[in-house]
Amino acid sequence: MSAKKKSAPKAKTASSTRKPLRRTIRGGRPMFFDDPAIDKVFNMVVTLGSEVWTLRERLAAMEAAQIARGGLKQGQLDAFEFNAEQIAALDAARKEFIGNLFRILEEQVDVARQRARKA
Amino acid sequence: MLEPNHSLKLRKTLDEKARMNFVSGIRAHVLNDMASGMRAVWDGEVEPRFRRKRRRGAKTGPEVHNAIKSNEYFKFYSSLRVTAQDLVWQSVFPPLDRERDQLKAEALALRKNKNIGSLTLDPKLEVPRYVSAIDVHLMAGNYDGEYDTDDVAAGALYDNGFAVFSFGLMGRNHDDIGQSIAGFIRRKYPHLKPKKILDLGCTIGHNTGSWKDHFPAAEVHGIDVAAPCLRYAHARAQVQNRAVHFQQMNAEHLDFPDASFDVVFSSMFLHELPKKSIGKVLAEAYRVLKPGGLMLHMELPPNSQLSPYDAFYLDWDSAYNNEPFYKPFRDMKPQQVCKDAGFDPKKFVQHVVPSVGWYGEQVLAEAATHQQDVDSDKTGRLADGVRWYCFGAFK
Ligand SMILES: C[S@@+](CC[C@H](N)C(=O)[O-])C[C@H]1O[C@@H](n2cnc3c(N)ncnc32)[C@H](O)[C@@H]1O
Repeated sequence: MSAKKKSAPKAKTASSTRKPLRRTIRGGRPMFFDDPAIDKVFNMVVTLGSEVWTLRERLAAMEAAQIARGGLKQGQLDAFEFNAEQIAALDAARKEFIGNLFRILEEQVDVARQRARKA
Repeated sequence: MLEPNHSLKLRKTLDEKARMNFVSGIRAHVLNDMASGMRAVWDGEVEPRFRRKRRRGAKTGPEVHNAIKSNEYFKFYSSLRVTAQDLVWQSVFPPLDRERDQLKAEALALRKNKNIGSLTLDPKLEVPRYVSAIDVHLMAGNYDGEYDTDDVAAGALYDNGFAVFSFGLMGRNHDDIGQSIAGFIRRKYPHLKPKKILDLGCTIGHNTGSWKDHFPAAEVHGIDVAAPCLRYAHARAQVQNRAVHFQQMNAEHLDFPDASFDVVFSSMFLHELPKKSIGKVLAEAYRVLKPGGLMLHMELPPNSQLSPYDAFYLDWDSAYNNEPFYKPFRDMKPQQVCKDAGFDPKKFVQHVVPSVGWYGEQVLAEAATHQQDVDSDKTGRLADGVRWYCFGAFK
């Protein structure tokens, strides 16, 4: 490992120049399910939930700010209807999103396909 | 997601719609993309191992199931599919809770003011245990759950959930099965000209109405044991201006006279019944059919006519989707079942009907002149390019 310090982008605050605090846990953690993978996936799900909720609050703030400025009326967003073109674009983007979300599972399929081809 | 196309559909907020779209997208991903991934894992990974160990290929669906069930891809496929199935119904509950009183009022008003077709309920009818005791396909409350007098909630849950569940493959009216099969029968058997048609286990009548569309002169009846679904079915048919007669009855002992129908139909019905009940239902169908009439059941294709892998694939629901009678039904031999109910084996029929929504009218018309093979990974599989299986007999 090199001891040479990399030049970091210019810090805006003092704390960001420091190395982040350690966030992983020492000494192991309790696992409850038969397969520890389940405890780990569960941790991911709850983490994902917290990120989703953060998005929801941010959107609520955005909507409230728009309403305060007069750019939106109360309830207008809930009644919003996408047009056909927008729906098609969202359908395609959602399909890609879902594909990406489960991409890791497809690695096994690729290997299996290769093997079947060779056999 | 294709939303229902009638005025009784639930109104959803932007978030609720987005959630439904997402669950629908997951369903499409599991049943199209991951289904083909799982097949590849079988061919390239699990099957070769099976062959090395047993020195032969798998012979039955259960053998495939046993060999694949410890595979990680199968576990993810299954876990994701169960989760999506649960979320289908969960995505409907919030708008349903908000609107169910209003829906009930609309259904009552339709019955009072419009009154096309009819609704006949039998409050004394005993709902069979195989319906009242479980939540089939993880649908909380099942078909018959009532929370209120004149309740229609179970029907609305099914209708709106079905839109999420079928990811567009059933059409806006959820009647791809009915439209495909009724359209096929009209072309295949032009001499039939039915005057009276009966649909068994009609739920919300989504596939019952297709018979009225294809045979407008016929009197069309739909029966079911579940009152909230029937109330909703009648309201739904009325807003679509279809005159259908809905009655609460048990298909095991029908309240119709002998020889009174030209067609007795059902779709996706028999596989939810225990074996003993299937026998009784078919015998009743025989009784109420006129001589020369047609009994026809749209169903999952029988295991005996599928490859071991496809048999395993379709039996997934039996093991993991609260469908205890599904595999026993698929293990039965349709021709034998009809014979046991009194039908002449020479008058047995079975057809594979291309989905009219997916393939179009032209292909459907051609199918009426060319018998199609049952053995295919498209037969009875809710996925792109589905072809429906049906069997029955003339009396
Ligand atoms: C899977 S649904 C059928 C759906 C519908 N026919 C279709 O085409 O999608 C099964 C229906 O059969 C009804 N059912 C179950 N047992 C019955 C019986 N013995 N007599 C009449 N209906 C029954 C249930 O209440 C439920 O509505």
